[in-house]
Amino acid sequence: MTVAAGIGYALLALGPSLSLFVSVISRKPFLILTLLSSTLVWLVSLIILSGLWRPFLPLKANVWWPYALLVLSSVCFQEALRFLFWKLYMRLEDVLDSFADRISRPRLFLTDKLQIALAGGLGHGVAHAVFFCLSLLTPAFGPATFYVDRCSKVPFFLVSAIIALAFVTIHTFSMVIAFEGYAKGNKVDQVIVPVIHLSAGMLTLVNFASEGCVIGVPLLYLVASLTLLHCGKMVWQRLIESQNQSGSTLR
Amino acid sequence: MAMGLPRLVAVAFTLALVSIFPPLPFSLAGEITSIESVPDLQKLMYVAVDGYPCVRLLNLSGEIGCSNPGLSKVVAPLIKLKDVKDLVEPHTVLVTADEMEDFFTRHVPLCSWCLLNISVNKVTFVVSASGANDVLFTRMILVSNDLSFASKIGGVLIESGSSFQQKLKGLSPDKMFPQAEFSPYKNVEYKWNPMASSIMWKAYNFPVYLLSESGITAVQKFLSKKDMKHKTYTSDVAEFNMVMETTKAGTHNSKACLQEGTCLPLGGYSVWSSLPPINVSSSNNRKPIVLTVASMDSASFFRDKSFGADSPISGLVALLGAVDALSRVEGLSNLKKQLDVCILQLVFLVLTGETWGYLGSRRFLHELDLHSDAVADLSDTLIETVLEIGSVGKGLSGGINTFFAHKTRVSSATNMTLDALKIAQDSFASKNIKILSADKTNPGIPPSSTMAFMKKNPQTSAVVLEDFDTKFVNKFYHSHLDDLSNINSSSVVAAASVLARTLYILASDNKDSALGSIHVNASFVEELLACLLSCEPGLSCNLVKDYISPTNTSPGNYAGVMSGEPSSNPYLGSVGDVSRFLWNFLAEKTSVQKGNTTSVCSKGSCSRTDQVCIKAESNKEGTCVVSTTRYVPAYSTRLKYADGAWTILPQNRSDSMGMVDPVWTESNWNTIGLQVYTVQHSAYDNAVLVAGITVTTLAYIGIMVAKSFITKALKQD
Repeated sequence: MTVAAGIGYALLALGPSLSLFVSVISRKPFLILTLLSSTLVWLVSLIILSGLWRPFLPLKANVWWPYALLVLSSVCFQEALRFLFWKLYMRLEDVLDSFADRISRPRLFLTDKLQIALAGGLGHGVAHAVFFCLSLLTPAFGPATFYVDRCSKVPFFLVSAIIALAFVTIHTFSMVIAFEGYAKGNKVDQVIVPVIHLSAGMLTLVNFASEGCVIGVPLLYLVASLTLLHCGKMVWQRLIESQNQSGSTLR
Repeated sequence: MAMGLPRLVAVAFTLALVSIFPPLPFSLAGEITSIESVPDLQKLMYVAVDGYPCVRLLNLSGEIGCSNPGLSKVVAPLIKLKDVKDLVEPHTVLVTADEMEDFFTRHVPLCSWCLLNISVNKVTFVVSASGANDVLFTRMILVSNDLSFASKIGGVLIESGSSFQQKLKGLSPDKMFPQAEFSPYKNVEYKWNPMASSIMWKAYNFPVYLLSESGITAVQKFLSKKDMKHKTYTSDVAEFNMVMETTKAGTHNSKACLQEGTCLPLGGYSVWSSLPPINVSSSNNRKPIVLTVASMDSASFFRDKSFGADSPISGLVALLGAVDALSRVEGLSNLKKQLDVCILQLVFLVLTGETWGYLGSRRFLHELDLHSDAVADLSDTLIETVLEIGSVGKGLSGGINTFFAHKTRVSSATNMTLDALKIAQDSFASKNIKILSADKTNPGIPPSSTMAFMKKNPQTSAVVLEDFDTKFVNKFYHSHLDDLSNINSSSVVAAASVLARTLYILASDNKDSALGSIHVNASFVEELLACLLSCEPGLSCNLVKDYISPTNTSPGNYAGVMSGEPSSNPYLGSVGDVSRFLWNFLAEKTSVQKGNTTSVCSKGSCSRTDQVCIKAESNKEGTCVVSTTRYVPAYSTRLKYADGAWTILPQNRSDSMGMVDPVWTESNWNTIGLQVYTVQHSAYDNAVLVAGITVTTLAYIGIMVAKSFITKALKQD
């Protein structure tokens, strides 16, 4: 491989995140801070999980269920952390709203809230992609490539970039769904986020099977697409609701 | 939880990897079993292949051996020789041992002078066209075809193993008459080595590697993936890092490279020892000498795979077995007393550098002429006769071990040696050892160190004991296949037994008394063979470790290079493992104890001048023993070391061997390495880059569209 391939893999994994950052996040410093704090929270969660799992590693390479337990425990922990992150955000929102009231400025708009959730989600997603893909890409800039026997048709780096892209998408838009679910007390949205996260995590276990990536990766993208669709639908509804509310207020 | 943050991050990384490809079980060369870090991943991507390189050697007139053609690494796709068809780009050709000789003789006769010859041939053909020289025409066409093929060789990997010893009729990269230029007789066309191909004496402008067993496994694993679908856009390549300093500096002969300091002369340290020790103060140092000679170095196409089991290590082991037997005779003190009053002095001489112009023997004789410290105890002493033990590992045939005595000339001394051999042969009750005189139609003695003695003094009385009569029986002379499985230990034991008794008879002039009590320890010989002719246990065997701390496990038996100032009391770091072992071993076995106390060495030296300090490496404190055992430097007599550099002395007409000395040197090199890995075709790399840019751009467009849509929707409020 060459530098071209290395850059290509990095762009596949993080190109859309970069686009989102440039077009949305970078315009508002508060969103950048949210993104960075979210990234930090996610990395700390991974380190804590590592400490918890340290006594059990290395896991046996030919038994899948310990990996399922690992994924399950990680998802549970990170979802709990997401809830704490939201609680923290709510406090911050209260402070910001009261501050806005004091200086007679408008409170946070719906789009502001959505963008904060988006920045939080992107922070999780970018942390995931950096840790799970970008750190592996260093050898991809050298002359050699690498194929795993169980996924012999696609280079290892390409698969990890594709999987990272799926997880960035899932993490980014899951946060928007989760924040809205928590804010509205919508049980479906509150439950669907951990389910999506767990499903995506478990789908990586399909890679255990010989040529499992041929099935596992498309399924992962199905989950990512459903997440994106659900998020889009939810935002659309919120926009309509918002329009209706502002319409009724005018009347 | 008492774990550092870096460790936790490492574990987190493992979890990250696990989530991408949960289990990544690998077992390549038995090293990496799972990926737990980026270095693990890199080790799997770039598989280091274990092997033995062919390196660049130089002499006064040019180069031999192998090297990368330029200053950079060679990267070329792997292909088996049988799959080679119309290559477009340079490839790494995988050649099996049975294809090796044909490959190097027919396909790649490439070196600068070969090209010159071809152009000369072309001219000759044009000039003699009227003569219709079909043979020349055919040769020219063949070589021309091979030229285009040779230009498509990036590197060569040789796949070999002991199994090829059965498959092959023979494989010897040396010449028909090895080192014929040092022959004391004129018939240098005689074919001592019928299996000769001479391929190790040519220069190759590409790297060549002999794969070890683990190397073969690693390469085969890569080639076995050939059927995978990704093969359409990937290639498995070998990367050779074999850049020679002489190539970098453009120094293409010994004189130039020694001047520029880009090479070192071949050589090492020979060892000699006397039994009993020579007491300089007494009159017995004037006793004529029976010089028993063996060699410790061999050569092959591949630098570090030159075991030379039959030629010459079997002779060395036989000599050591005989020394051990003589030292263990019941009533050793009596034997030594007998030897003390005997008519001849036994001196054992183990030479190195013999493969590269008889460096050891020539330097030994030169040092004798100079009366240097290394041979001070032997100066002014007549060498009555020389008894050389050559190849003795293949003497067993039909249950009888047969050896041939090749003599230099008819003289009382050679007759005395032959008589002693005959008596020794008859002294064995089993009658399974035969000593025969070599065929009288032979042109003279076979290629051996004795040639140097003969050239020095044509009147030398010498006998060379070999396992062959008119031509080598060793089908793998100076080949990497001349290993432990090529010889028979019972043949070596038989040779050692004959030698021990012969030496006793020669030295004591006592033909009947203690002969029956001299027995060679067969298990000792076998252990010694395993130490000197294998990598497992190799030099880490207990026998060797009892005397020295070896720096390498695999003995290699390549002569090596002279890295520092040659000295009779050398810095031990510059003395090879085998030389140091032989020095300690011979010093112990030939020692006598004065009194019943053994003194401990302090700082590696002993207080008395007739004592030497042995086993100082292996034990915290060595032991002082009374022995006359010395190192003698072995390097070309045409070389001089002064002010930290080697210079070539002008030719001296009185030194006939110096006149024909090629003065072999080995090019310096930084690191030599070989790794194999898979590369993607550049079109695939570019496609990945385009895909990455496309995804990023499409995402940006999508986000901007969504953003404007939302903004628009909110503005409608």
